[in-house]
Amino acid sequence: MSPLVRILLLLAAAFVATSSAVAQSALPEQYRRAGVLRWGADAEGGAPFVFLDPARPAEGEVGFEVDLARELGAVLGVRTERVQAPYENLVPALERGDFDFVLNGFEATPERRTKVRFSRPYYIFNQQLTVGPGTTGVRSLGDLVGKRVGVLGQSMSHQIVLAHPGVEPAIYESNVTAYQDLVNGRIAGSLADVPIARAQRPLFPTLVDVGEPFHDAFYAMAVRREDDGLQRAIDDAVGTLLANGTLERIYRKWDLWTAAQQRLGTPEVALAHADAAAQTDLDWGTTFALLGLGAARTLLVSVLSFALALALGLCIALIRLHGPAPLRWAALAYVELFRGTPILVQLLLLYYGLGQFEALRLDAFYAGVLGLGLNYAAYEAEIYRGALLAIPRGQREAALALGMTTLQMLRHVTVPQALRLTLAPSTNDFIALFKDSSIVMVISYVELTKQYQMLANASGRFVLLGLITSALYLAMSLPLAFAARRFERRLDRDRA
Amino acid sequence: MIRLRGIGKRFAGRTLFQGLDLDLVPGHTTVIVGKSGSGKSTLLRVCNQLERHDTGTVECGPIAIPADLPVREWQRRATALRRRTGMVFQGFQLFPHLNVLDNVTLAPRVVQGVARAAAEVKAKELLELVSMRDAASRFPARLSGGEAQRVAIARALATDPEVLLLDEPTAALDPASTASVVAVLRDLRQRGFTLAMVTHDPDLGREIADTLFDLDANRGPTGDR
Repeated sequence: MSPLVRILLLLAAAFVATSSAVAQSALPEQYRRAGVLRWGADAEGGAPFVFLDPARPAEGEVGFEVDLARELGAVLGVRTERVQAPYENLVPALERGDFDFVLNGFEATPERRTKVRFSRPYYIFNQQLTVGPGTTGVRSLGDLVGKRVGVLGQSMSHQIVLAHPGVEPAIYESNVTAYQDLVNGRIAGSLADVPIARAQRPLFPTLVDVGEPFHDAFYAMAVRREDDGLQRAIDDAVGTLLANGTLERIYRKWDLWTAAQQRLGTPEVALAHADAAAQTDLDWGTTFALLGLGAARTLLVSVLSFALALALGLCIALIRLHGPAPLRWAALAYVELFRGTPILVQLLLLYYGLGQFEALRLDAFYAGVLGLGLNYAAYEAEIYRGALLAIPRGQREAALALGMTTLQMLRHVTVPQALRLTLAPSTNDFIALFKDSSIVMVISYVELTKQYQMLANASGRFVLLGLITSALYLAMSLPLAFAARRFERRLDRDRA
Repeated sequence: MIRLRGIGKRFAGRTLFQGLDLDLVPGHTTVIVGKSGSGKSTLLRVCNQLERHDTGTVECGPIAIPADLPVREWQRRATALRRRTGMVFQGFQLFPHLNVLDNVTLAPRVVQGVARAAAEVKAKELLELVSMRDAASRFPARLSGGEAQRVAIARALATDPEVLLLDEPTAALDPASTASVVAVLRDLRQRGFTLAMVTHDPDLGREIADTLFDLDANRGPTGDR
């Protein structure tokens, strides 16, 4: 940020903060003409920000930010309209022009400051640490060294946990799933913004908030870097809503009012958006270490789950071809069930569904291996079945005529020949699984694609990091395809 | 010795044979002849139960297989019967994923539990017998038809069967290959092996048979002929 711009911003902020009779900057022409301001937010697990209240579905989207947006529009003389975007993609979606500003419990982190322009804060929030039922002796993060603490990815809570060495962050895409895992005992604690903790406490009555709320931080709205006119208009409108008591009314309605909010009008808070953070760039050593770790996890999950898929698939194929009738039907049902339902649903059921039962609680890694393995087993079973059926009948008769039992025939004659036929299609499946394995991110396992997403979101370097990530995937899958082709050629040499 | 008593077999609504008796006498070569489509191959395959019969009994030493056994018991007895017989197919049916030596040693090792070294010594003797000793490390896809069929004969003999069943062993071969296979069969007969062969070639049948079994004359009252 150039010194001149910084001085101008400081002046503007000082003006806003100190003048009691708030002057309203005009909304830029383009928005006035459109008559609408579009704001981006993620409604998933979004209470009390933006959400659908299951008790009052007819009201549509509700939340304190829905109220705030409406009042903001009233001050600015335009309609407001919400646009759905995943929380982690709010910045790129804003830059792309999917909407005009972000209003979603968004914190002015240094990384984000390099990409977007923030308004003056409209809410001061603290952090609330929450632990599971029956946990004693925990008062602060320091009591959770060596334990896993759930946080929303890329959030202030995430950064605070990262700043506590020894406390391992467990990264979630929604606070609801983090609290669910806390109930299930997969994590030792969860750190979240106070509004989130307060809003979701009724859903998780067994969880306990511990310690005093700590760490002042600010929710602010974000606009595109070049949209300083919109930022000024929003700053002034926030000042108006603060001055005329509208903000306090909204916050009291949603049980969000705290004494801290009285400082919203003080210069140091109003000026918070003008804090010029040093331009942060990627630390390449750390970046490569993180991507490498992600790649290793991708490889591990893929290899283990495919080994499971191959073994289980062969069993299923053999049962379908040679098993007694009830088992044959069960095998057929297995194949159709796992091929006919989305793997995403299967993973969520396996992880969160089974997680409700103490004895069946799998950690994300094992749930991912099991989920991918069970799913791909259905496809491998069909490949094996086709290959076994392609072995000529005369081969089976020759084996039986030598006095082999059915098992001996399978083991020494038909299955070895079938395996050679499955080599090419199975290699294809493995490469597909390799890339599909990124889906385990939904159960909080951070593999290569997820690691890429987090690094790219933090730095904005989607293209460069995307190319590096793709190269890592290729570096792992190409040698495999090459080895499979070589092996196949060797077999062909023997056969022709 | 294999004894067929009162054997009947229906196929696709047609009676192939009925009340049929046949003994495969040790040391003898029995050749089954008959019109094409008359059920010669089916009769041979009843001998090692690759086809189940509908009436009568197949006997081999202490094993008796009546027609109406429950599936599991039939499977058990059929496997026991097959362990005392060897079979050579018209289409060779060598195992393409194994080389010649492994094709011959597979059944002794897997079915009889013979150690690999011992099985290989014996396999090499059998390959010598069919003049294929030098081909031990080759794969079936690299063999000519006559070579493949001679390896198939060695494979069938590797478990010391009481009788060797041959189903049209020369039908898929050119004249030169046929001659090489016939030479092996003649040699086996000389050495006192028990053979039972189905062939469409009357000259070959007459030349090699101790007993000529004409299916058309022995099929019994089929009712629809």
